This record gives sequence, structure tokens and C-alpha cells, in this order.
Amino acid sequence: MQQSAANALTPSSPEERASQTDSTKTPGGSTQLDDAPPENAPENAPETSSTQGSPHQTPSPTGSEETPAPIPANPNLQIQLKSEAGRLLLRLPPNPENSRSLVPWSDLWLQLKQRLNGGDRFWQPQTVVHLVAGDYLLDGRQLQTIAEALEEAQLQLKRVYTSRRQTAVAAATSGYSVEQESAVTLFSQASTVNGQALDDPLYLQTTIRSGVEIRHPGTVVILGDVNPGGSVIADGDILIWGHLRGIAHAGASGRSQCRIMALHMQPTQLRIADKVARAPETPPARYQPEVAYIGSDSIRIAIATEFSRVNLNRSFG
Amino acid sequence: MTRIIVITSGKGGVGKTTCTANLGMALAKNNHRVVVIDSDFGLRNLDLLLGLENRIVYTALDVLAKECRMDQALVKDKRQPNLSLLPAAQSRNKESITPEQMKELIGELTSKHDFILIDCPAGIEMGFKNAIAAAKEAIVVTTPEISAVRDADRVIGLLEANDIKAMRLIINRIKPAMVQEDMMMSVQDVQDILAIPLVGVVPDDERVIVSTNKGEPLVLEESLSLAGLAFANIGRRLIGEKIPFLDLNAPHDHLFSRIRRMFRN
Repeated sequence: MQQSAANALTPSSPEERASQTDSTKTPGGSTQLDDAPPENAPENAPETSSTQGSPHQTPSPTGSEETPAPIPANPNLQIQLKSEAGRLLLRLPPNPENSRSLVPWSDLWLQLKQRLNGGDRFWQPQTVVHLVAGDYLLDGRQLQTIAEALEEAQLQLKRVYTSRRQTAVAAATSGYSVEQESAVTLFSQASTVNGQALDDPLYLQTTIRSGVEIRHPGTVVILGDVNPGGSVIADGDILIWGHLRGIAHAGASGRSQCRIMALHMQPTQLRIADKVARAPETPPARYQPEVAYIGSDSIRIAIATEFSRVNLNRSFG
Repeated sequence: MTRIIVITSGKGGVGKTTCTANLGMALAKNNHRVVVIDSDFGLRNLDLLLGLENRIVYTALDVLAKECRMDQALVKDKRQPNLSLLPAAQSRNKESITPEQMKELIGELTSKHDFILIDCPAGIEMGFKNAIAAAKEAIVVTTPEISAVRDADRVIGLLEANDIKAMRLIINRIKPAMVQEDMMMSVQDVQDILAIPLVGVVPDDERVIVSTNKGEPLVLEESLSLAGLAFANIGRRLIGEKIPFLDLNAPHDHLFSRIRRMFRN
């Protein structure tokens, strides 16, 4: 079974498509590409289809078991917008008192605009938004800016949850209903806890341009292109209904059964769980929808139709 | 209705200022009242390209400091009275002005002009934020190089986030012969990534250097060079005329290159 999947690579250049080099993340967190000559790293040497004798599909990452848990798609680096009981919750990243936030205000604002641009098709006009600011410090002008951005997407800011007194005062002055709460509850949820369910899929209709990074603790679906310099980091699968030219990291919290699917797979880099692969130097003659997955301990790419015939039926059957 | 257009690129040296000078002049020649604003405080160049350096008395900062009136700071072009320049201060830096002040300056100019072209500095920091603060439209300039395209892509994302949705693309300094040989990104390659409407393709031309040094924009030439013609066409496309794109490949499309292409495909 596996053999046919692995052989089902781009017909014109099966070798090239199969010879995805892979490597594991070094403990320091930096990625090390296996660009070295084969004798340096025989166990990571590019596999060609000829070595595909073993018909097992189960991921058995030998090299990755010693490596520390990879960095999950840390939701604390990005704003999150999700619906809950008919309204939208806008969560801001944490910003504990007396420390600089990982996401400064200018970045936060950019993320919000990008997020609203990508998803505005999915909300009813005048949907109510609750801003879950946590310990992120906002002044009146910033609150106003957030409200204006939401208004442009026809969303209404109604309520602000915060643990900061200044933010609460600013929100109350601007006429929003305020709920002040203790700092601990909101963002202590570590997403690395074992057995935690993935978030709902994130569906965006947008082009992920250079410099934009989408992080989501679940599956991500992008209707549009991911340009070089852009990246998508998901704890679940990644589906790109368009060109994938940037970086995609599926299963960022360590799920090696995650997949990356794209109509036009031409990535700068593919990452699944703790594996990294580059696209082959010579592009295939013709692009068609492909799936990247971990097979025999390295990232492989198969044509989508072949992949679903061989793998999907098997895993459900 | 005044059109406020920022000309930006992200990367430096791709031809923002050349485009601003030539488009400003092309629009002015078509009887539009145009003001070009140099927002590159500290590294101003636009005055040089227009040959107006020795006429600058006041700068935009003097207007903001109320040391002079706006019409005193505006430098009228010696050849084309429809065109004027609002110079930046050379002795200061980009932090010497805020986005609000930029809006204030441009607000003063809207009543008397049809087009306001803002020459944006390279980068995406303060100078960029100032330049785009008041703009309603943008022209993104790039060259067919991977680094310029990458930066242009980033800038397009930032413009979108700042609600400047009317964006157009100029691909500058293309070498058709190299594109034919597959050694340079083609117009199509660039468009595939950037995905915004194309308003013009300007071929690489040594005369651009001459025109910069002389302070005479290309569109003023008696017999237009290919690059000058491209700029004149972009000016006309901006006001809504439908002008077909120049066929830059024509001089290079000889029998040998056709045969070579046939073999390559």
C-alpha cells in the first residue's frame, strides 16, 4: 500500500519528488536541513522509491523520539477570533504586568486587520464581539482603534473582559460594558497539556503575503495563496486551496500524522511535527494537487488523488 | 476629487522616486494639477530628479512649524507650471514628522490639486507610515528580482491592513532579452505572486541615469525613449484611459530566440 503511495509521485520526475530531504529539529530549536552529502547523515539520507519495501504506514519517527517536544502553534503569539454561542470572542495575547508583551501593539493591530480581512465573509453583519483582553494593557485610543477595525468588518464591540485596571477604566469611559477579572484564569491554559482537543478549524479567505504568520491551535484552511515569506503554523492539518510558496508547519505540537495539502505545492519549506523538508531543487514539469505526510520517517509528497485512494481508505477501513 | 497616491516599494533602489517624478510630469502634461511630495525626510531626492534643488527655500517642516505658508514652500516646476513639489527637509530625519502632520499637510493641498503623489522612502518604518497615512491609493513599484518582489509583497500586505485597497503595480527595469532567455522573472511571474492589477511595465534604460543626473524626467524628451513612453502610458492609464501595454519583446523576438524557446519548451 505504502509503496504505491510513495510511487505515486509526479510522473515526470518521481525521483525528484521523492527525494525530499528531511531532518529533525535540533534540541536548540533551530532547524537543521539535511543538505549535507549522504555520508554525513546516512540515516537521514533522501529515500528514493526503491527503498520503499516496507508496507507500513504507521509513523515511527525514530530520530524524533529523542528530540524535545516541538514548539506548538503557540496561541499566545497571536490574536484569536472565534465564535462562541453566536458571538465572537476576540482574545488578545498575554502581556503580564512589568514585562513586555511578545506582541507589541502595532503587530497586534496588524494581526487583527489581517484576520478581519480574511474572514469577513463568514460573519453576519452586526455580530456582537466580546474583547477578551486578559492582562493586555489597552488605552482608550487603542480600544477605539480596535472598535473601528471591527466596525469596518461590520462587527460590534460590546463587552471587554480585562484584568488590568487601566484597561477597565478606559473601556468603561468609552462606554463598553466591562468585566474585570483576576489575571490568572484567562491565559493559564497551556496548550501543551496532553490529550487536549484541537481548536475548531480556522478558515481564511486571503493571500498570506510575505511577513504574515498565521498560527492556530487546530487545522487551518486557506482559500488563497501562501506567498514566499509567509507562513502557516497549525497544530492540526493545513489545507491550502491555492499556491503554497511559503512555509507550512502542520502538527506543530507534535502530531506526526498531520498533513499538508495544497493545490500547487511549491513550498519554501514543509514541516510536519518535528520533521523539516525542502522542495526539490528542480520543480516538476506540471503541478497538481499534492499531499505531504510523514511516511517511513521522512516527509513525502504524493499526488492528492492517489494519496486519498491509498491512504485515506486504509486509515478509516 | 483629489486623488492621493503613494508610490512605494519596500525595497530601496527599485525606482520609486523616478516613477514619482515621471508620473507627476506625465500627469501635469495632460493638464492635471499635480503636486509631488517627497516624504523621504533626511534623504530627499525627488527635487534632484526634477531639477528643482536650487529653487527650494522652505520645506514641509517649515509649513508645519508655521514659518511659511504652504504656497511659499511649494516649488513650481520651471517647465511645467501644473506641477509643483513639496520638498522634504534634508537636515532632519523621519521621526521629525508624524502621520497626523502628514495628513494635515496633504489636507491643505487637496483643494487646489487633482493629483497628489507621495514619494515613499524605502523600508516599512516611520517614513513608510507617514507616507501612507493620508493616501487613498497606492502604486507599488518592483523590479523583476526576487528580493524586490518579496518586499513588495510585504508592503502590499501592510497597505491592505491600512485600508489602502486600490493598489496598482509597476514592474520597473525589466530586460526583455533576459526574460526571453529565462534569466529574469517575467511580468507573469511577478504578477503570479503579487496578484494586484498591473498599471505598467518599464524597460531598463540607460537614459534613466542621464535623465536623473540632468534633472529632466524622461517624459519631457522630444522623442520619447521606450522607458519614457512607458511612463507616459502609465500616466494615461491612471486617469482611466485604456492603453495597451508596450510589446517589449518585439525587438528581441527574432528567429533564433524563437527556435531556442521552442527547444526549451
